[in-house]
Amino acid sequence: MTKKSNWNARFIPGLLLLTILSFTSLVQVFGKGVPRKSNHYPIEQTITGKVTDAATGKELTGANIAVKGSNKSSTTDANGNYSITVANENAVLVFTFVGYAAQQIPVKGQSVINVTLQPASSDLAQVVVVGYGTQSKKDITGSVKSIKSEAFNKGIINAPEQLLQGKVAGVNVTSASGEPGGAMNITIRGPGSLRAQSTPLFVIDGVALDNNGTGGGNPLNFINPQDIESIDVLKDASATAIYGSRGSNGVVLVTTKRGKAGLSILTLTTSLGVSTMARALPVFNASEYKAQVVKVGGVLDDKGADTDWQKEITRTALTQNYNVALSGGADKLTYYASFGMQKQEGIIKMNDFNRYTGRFNATQKFLQDKLIIEANLTATGTVNNRPPISGALGDALSNNPTYPVYDANGNPAQYQNINNPLQSFNLQKDITKINRILGNISASVRLAKGLVYKLNFGVDNSTGTRDYQQMPNLVPVIDGRLETYYTTNKNTLVENYLTYNFNTGDHVFSVLGGHSYQKIFLQGRNYSINRFAITGIEPQYNPGLGQELTLANNRPGGYAIENELQSYFGRIDYQYKNKYLARANFRADGSTKFGGNNKYGYFPSFSLGWKISEEDFMANSFFSNLKLRAGWGQTGNQEIPAKVTQASYTSSVSGSTSYPLSGTGPYPAGITFVRLDNPDLQWEVSKQTNIAMDFGLLKGKLNGSIDVFRKVSSNILLTSIPSDPIQPVQTYFDNVENMKITNQGVEIDLEYRNVTDKGLTYSVGGNVTFIDNEVTNSPYKVITSGSASGSGLTSATLNGYINNQPLGTFYLLDFIGFNTNGTSKYRDVDNDGIVSDKDRIAAGSALPTMMYNFSGNLGYKGFDLTVNFNGVSGNKIYDNTANSFFYKARLVKGINTTAEGIGSPDESTSNAAGISTRYLKNGAYLRLNNAALGYTFNTAKMGIKWATALRFSITGQNLFVITKYDGYDPEVNTDRTSGDGVISSGIDYLSYPKARSIIFGLNLSF
Amino acid sequence: MKRIYYKTALFAGIVALVTGCTKLNEEVLDESLSTRGLTERQIADGQVTPIYALLPTLHEHTRYFALQEISTDEAILPYRGGTDWGDNGIYLSLHRHETTSTDPNVRNTWNTITQGISRTVTAIFSLKNNTDAIAPAYIAEARAMRAFYNLLSLDLFGIAFIKEDPGAVSKIVRGAEAVDYIKSELLAAEPLLDNTSGPGRLTKAGAWGLLAKLNLNAPVYRDVYADAFQFKTEDMNEVINYCDKIISSGQYALSTDYFAIFGNDNHNNKELIFAVDQRADLNGHNRLAYFSLSGDQFPLTAFPAANGTDGPGITSDFYRSWVSAYGAVDPAQADPRFFKQNVSMNTNPGDSCVTDFNVDRGILRGQQYGLIRKNGVFEKCPDGKFKVGKLFNASRSNPNLPVEFTEKIDFTTAGSNYSTGYRVEKYEFSKKSASGRNFGEADISIVRLADIYLMRAEAKLRKGDAAGALADVNTVRLSRTAYTVQPTALTGTLTLDLLFRERGFEFYWEMNRRTDMIRFGKYEGTWTEKSNTDKKKRIFPIPQTAVDGASNLPNYLVQNSGY
Repeated sequence: MTKKSNWNARFIPGLLLLTILSFTSLVQVFGKGVPRKSNHYPIEQTITGKVTDAATGKELTGANIAVKGSNKSSTTDANGNYSITVANENAVLVFTFVGYAAQQIPVKGQSVINVTLQPASSDLAQVVVVGYGTQSKKDITGSVKSIKSEAFNKGIINAPEQLLQGKVAGVNVTSASGEPGGAMNITIRGPGSLRAQSTPLFVIDGVALDNNGTGGGNPLNFINPQDIESIDVLKDASATAIYGSRGSNGVVLVTTKRGKAGLSILTLTTSLGVSTMARALPVFNASEYKAQVVKVGGVLDDKGADTDWQKEITRTALTQNYNVALSGGADKLTYYASFGMQKQEGIIKMNDFNRYTGRFNATQKFLQDKLIIEANLTATGTVNNRPPISGALGDALSNNPTYPVYDANGNPAQYQNINNPLQSFNLQKDITKINRILGNISASVRLAKGLVYKLNFGVDNSTGTRDYQQMPNLVPVIDGRLETYYTTNKNTLVENYLTYNFNTGDHVFSVLGGHSYQKIFLQGRNYSINRFAITGIEPQYNPGLGQELTLANNRPGGYAIENELQSYFGRIDYQYKNKYLARANFRADGSTKFGGNNKYGYFPSFSLGWKISEEDFMANSFFSNLKLRAGWGQTGNQEIPAKVTQASYTSSVSGSTSYPLSGTGPYPAGITFVRLDNPDLQWEVSKQTNIAMDFGLLKGKLNGSIDVFRKVSSNILLTSIPSDPIQPVQTYFDNVENMKITNQGVEIDLEYRNVTDKGLTYSVGGNVTFIDNEVTNSPYKVITSGSASGSGLTSATLNGYINNQPLGTFYLLDFIGFNTNGTSKYRDVDNDGIVSDKDRIAAGSALPTMMYNFSGNLGYKGFDLTVNFNGVSGNKIYDNTANSFFYKARLVKGINTTAEGIGSPDESTSNAAGISTRYLKNGAYLRLNNAALGYTFNTAKMGIKWATALRFSITGQNLFVITKYDGYDPEVNTDRTSGDGVISSGIDYLSYPKARSIIFGLNLSF
Repeated sequence: MKRIYYKTALFAGIVALVTGCTKLNEEVLDESLSTRGLTERQIADGQVTPIYALLPTLHEHTRYFALQEISTDEAILPYRGGTDWGDNGIYLSLHRHETTSTDPNVRNTWNTITQGISRTVTAIFSLKNNTDAIAPAYIAEARAMRAFYNLLSLDLFGIAFIKEDPGAVSKIVRGAEAVDYIKSELLAAEPLLDNTSGPGRLTKAGAWGLLAKLNLNAPVYRDVYADAFQFKTEDMNEVINYCDKIISSGQYALSTDYFAIFGNDNHNNKELIFAVDQRADLNGHNRLAYFSLSGDQFPLTAFPAANGTDGPGITSDFYRSWVSAYGAVDPAQADPRFFKQNVSMNTNPGDSCVTDFNVDRGILRGQQYGLIRKNGVFEKCPDGKFKVGKLFNASRSNPNLPVEFTEKIDFTTAGSNYSTGYRVEKYEFSKKSASGRNFGEADISIVRLADIYLMRAEAKLRKGDAAGALADVNTVRLSRTAYTVQPTALTGTLTLDLLFRERGFEFYWEMNRRTDMIRFGKYEGTWTEKSNTDKKKRIFPIPQTAVDGASNLPNYLVQNSGY
């Protein structure tokens, strides 16, 4: 019997038991009947008052006031005032506010109750979203980090990953380049897969997203960052196992803002950002160029100008952001609505990224608050205009700086031997428009005391249209062409689950059981047309003007994929005496992607917690909080392509399948295998152990946690090569037996918060992660990826994954200087007298071994200051740009280069700069990611009645980077994934330069 | 109680929803996974076409061509101007016999051949159940093609694969066992093969040609690392036997126009016995025509973007073999196979305006003349004709460097510049190509009659019949009478060296050279940048990917020694 069927046997009954358990308790509850309604009508009473910060005296807006033991609650308005009705004078009011210690005050006949709340000594009161529910932070047993909106990174933000960068230990966020709206890479506790999908599962308000985009850029660009209330990151398997086969890479739960009863707020936020290129590459200017070309023995072609081509293709870019948010509500209905617009110019000319978002979230209670309906709807349109970016950068770095940019008429000058990037800007356009609507509606029914049934139905529908057009042109001759790509991604989710909470004094139970069904439909189609007359009309506006359609040049393409995922999940929480915590999660995931022999995967997890500080013997210790947590779990990664378990043979007429069998007549369709079947194909399995300690010291002013984790991924999914070479196709998808990818490390989080007597609030905090990644038991000598770009480098690969080395390893020839003839000299590792591919060495990895972040906040009177630093170290970057653009042989031919490129006096001017450790650079950096200074006007004091809050701020983004890396920016990852989908890492090739931005913001509330 | 019913009903509803959702059967929307609706004949055709469909890919410049030519004295590909054809040094290694098991061209060639074998296995297996009358003939054809792919595999990698059941693991055979297997397969297929479907398909005569080739090289295949190959009389008699069959069939004829054998409309050229049937609207590629040309040579008036790539040139050693053969007479004047002038400006400088343009054929030397491209369009004469002029490396940022092909070509800076090396334009530049470059219609020769004559000559010579061999050589030489430059007969005593030289003149850049050099004992010689004398390099390494893939079967796919 295999291991898998063991799981099967063990857990199906477990799940049944869980269902029966919930059902029996349900019957019990019903059996007791409905409690009779009381005939006693008490005298209602209205209480009013003000809630202020005990330290600063500042009014607290949005503080919650609840009547203990009832469903009644209210919220303070913009001036900190509240009003609430209580049933009788025995009522007790509970005042809560994020970041403050809760207070309970008995009404006892008072009609005005003013409250000063103390900033919370710890953040233990926080509520954390954990997947199909929430949990109080103090009861957490897994590794979960919650980031509230106040703590988000500030600046020009396109996607939620940016809000998180550096904020969570163990989470590595890297932008692929500096391009607005560009791709982001996010990994949680290291990559566990060789193929591209190590992205965590994103869940927005309970809807699990599909990670496929619709037309380039980051698929998460559709979320307006200002709508986000909190982001919770589930890191270890004991937390993510509830998401089963999608839990291996961690889970990111995004919760959007909701309205609060009794409070109507209109917030206007607007900002203007000014961005410039943070760093240009130091190619020679005209006078340096003239001197250097001659010096290396080239023939100087001097056209007399002094052109800074990098400057010519870039600009000072403006980003405008406007956001209107309305929120509020009454007792039964709360709402939040927002409309946002961000118009962002890229620092490269002709490049911009615009986003329009609308959101409406509503919550309504019915049937004596037993039925709660929540509806969330967001609609987003993004428009991304892209000129030929990497081409223009390549031109800007190579072009002779003595050539003028413009001709006598002021048009971009036309040259025979160099390409003027400004001309390409006018001739080529790449426009992507994506419309996405994400909506979900959920109903929670309180069936009985402690028993809640919830139905969640969500639809995420995204459509993208990408037009790639070449304008017809006379000089140089371009026929004109329009290619259009239509992409659809429709994701439907239905979830039903029951939660049952009960306690018997010392014993507190919470049980969850449910079912989830998700269907994802992806479709893409593309069409093109050629040869447009030069009319000045852009082909995208009238494709019908194209005059040529041939199957050779305009064959339409497309695909359609449907995946279904059906899951059963459950959870049991148990607490004893509020000291001992236990939690078990379970999910059974079935997927259409899995092979016929492995339709369902089973994913359990267990975790324990011990609140040591609650023990009697700790009563007088200096720990305000001390908790030990430990967990183990098994999760999966099901991000495998569709259809790969099924063999496919097609009958088609194409160059590789058909052949003329006779002199004339139509070509017969050839029947060929496209794919081999593999009914055993399944998810990648990852087992993770987490041991952690949470602590609070100095009366809760200093809080922190230390997590130690080990995540071992196995059943690694690869396109394997069959042992018998005689196969219809060269590779097939397979889980490689015994191969393992291990991520292990330590995460430390620390924060110190204090308020001085004089009202100065300040906090300093940070986190650091040490992480090791290792590949073991790979049957392959090397799995290569990361194909190099540039002349002379075709067919070379940069990454090579080998046993006992991390993923992202650079597998390169070891450069050791120059031969006497000035050519590159490499170490002959195997001493066979020939330098060949066999002499490559593992020269370091693109994965950082340490990631760290520190931040500080300072508040005094109306002023507030926030700074966020983040950095990584231990990683390498392959500077493919320098490799293919900056070397002597190019300067001799009149192609511009840098001082680095000609820096080796021993190098011959004809040396071909091959792939080697010569261009492998240290990728460590420390960045001042953002710093924001704000001032909040006391509108009341100033006598401004029309506004309740007015805040000005100035934010600097990417203010400086300390790094030895000399490319545009060390945070880079040009995707050079190999044909069979193995991830490439840490490659910099003509990446979009990073911007440095200053943002002026105005925030106004009514 | 009403409320309880309501709640129970609701809960029952939930349970129903929970349990009855999906069977999780994957529905494939964008691929047809069956051959439903096809007739038996269509299915039979559908099984046979894929076995040939890989031939154009196999004969690409980066696959079989590279392995068979750039490893020899006929072709060398330096890192052009430090910008082109660098490809991480694989072409330098290939020429120096330093290729390793990770070379992508070796891998791609291997993959194409093994996939070819697999397709024949699938076809034979499926056709056994086909009820159409054509099936037995198709099975024979697939068997012969399986032998052809195995012959290539044996020649390049020293191994052949025996596989009948697509689900079973192939048996790997080497040496004499492989020779015997391939021979028996060809012999089994031969009686059933058709003899009218050529040259694009493998016919009876095609099988005879392959049998001649197999027997001629059998001494090499049986003992590939031998110091001296044992050319046994019985092998040579077999060669003569099969060549005789082809020649006496009267079905084929030597082409008087040498370059017509490689022309765009060569499909009906009677010299071709087995060739890749290329069609510009299906499978053809034009790379063999364009890749050696200069980046500033534009052979088509309709396509100002269709240029050469400054690919390989011939080595000076190979060029010298022509010069030494003809002494004082320039090879272009001595041998019609060396060069065919199409650009009149070569000899008539005043003729600089033309209505149509064709590049020269054969071996291109010295200054090149051609269509002049400025700002993306071809310059025209005042009378509207196309202007032809001296070409410069304008597209290489070297507008003052003339496109003047030089004899010197090697891996030094000077020898690697864009215009070094004499170039080869043997195949005609495609005229049907939609983009100017990507498609081709010329059939690529695999077996042609001249080879039959020269193989017979070699077999005779190795048996000691020098006079009979010389007669066959001269039959081929004297047949090329279509041009002003007339062929001359070879006189004196024919030696193996002279026959090897003659094969070079007749078959240069036709993907025979490596096999010839090994058989004639020349492969360990020294030329241009090549000095490696390791006999182990006669066959290529098995790609590392294949060795890795087979690592779960110990001693199954053993790497060739020396790699």
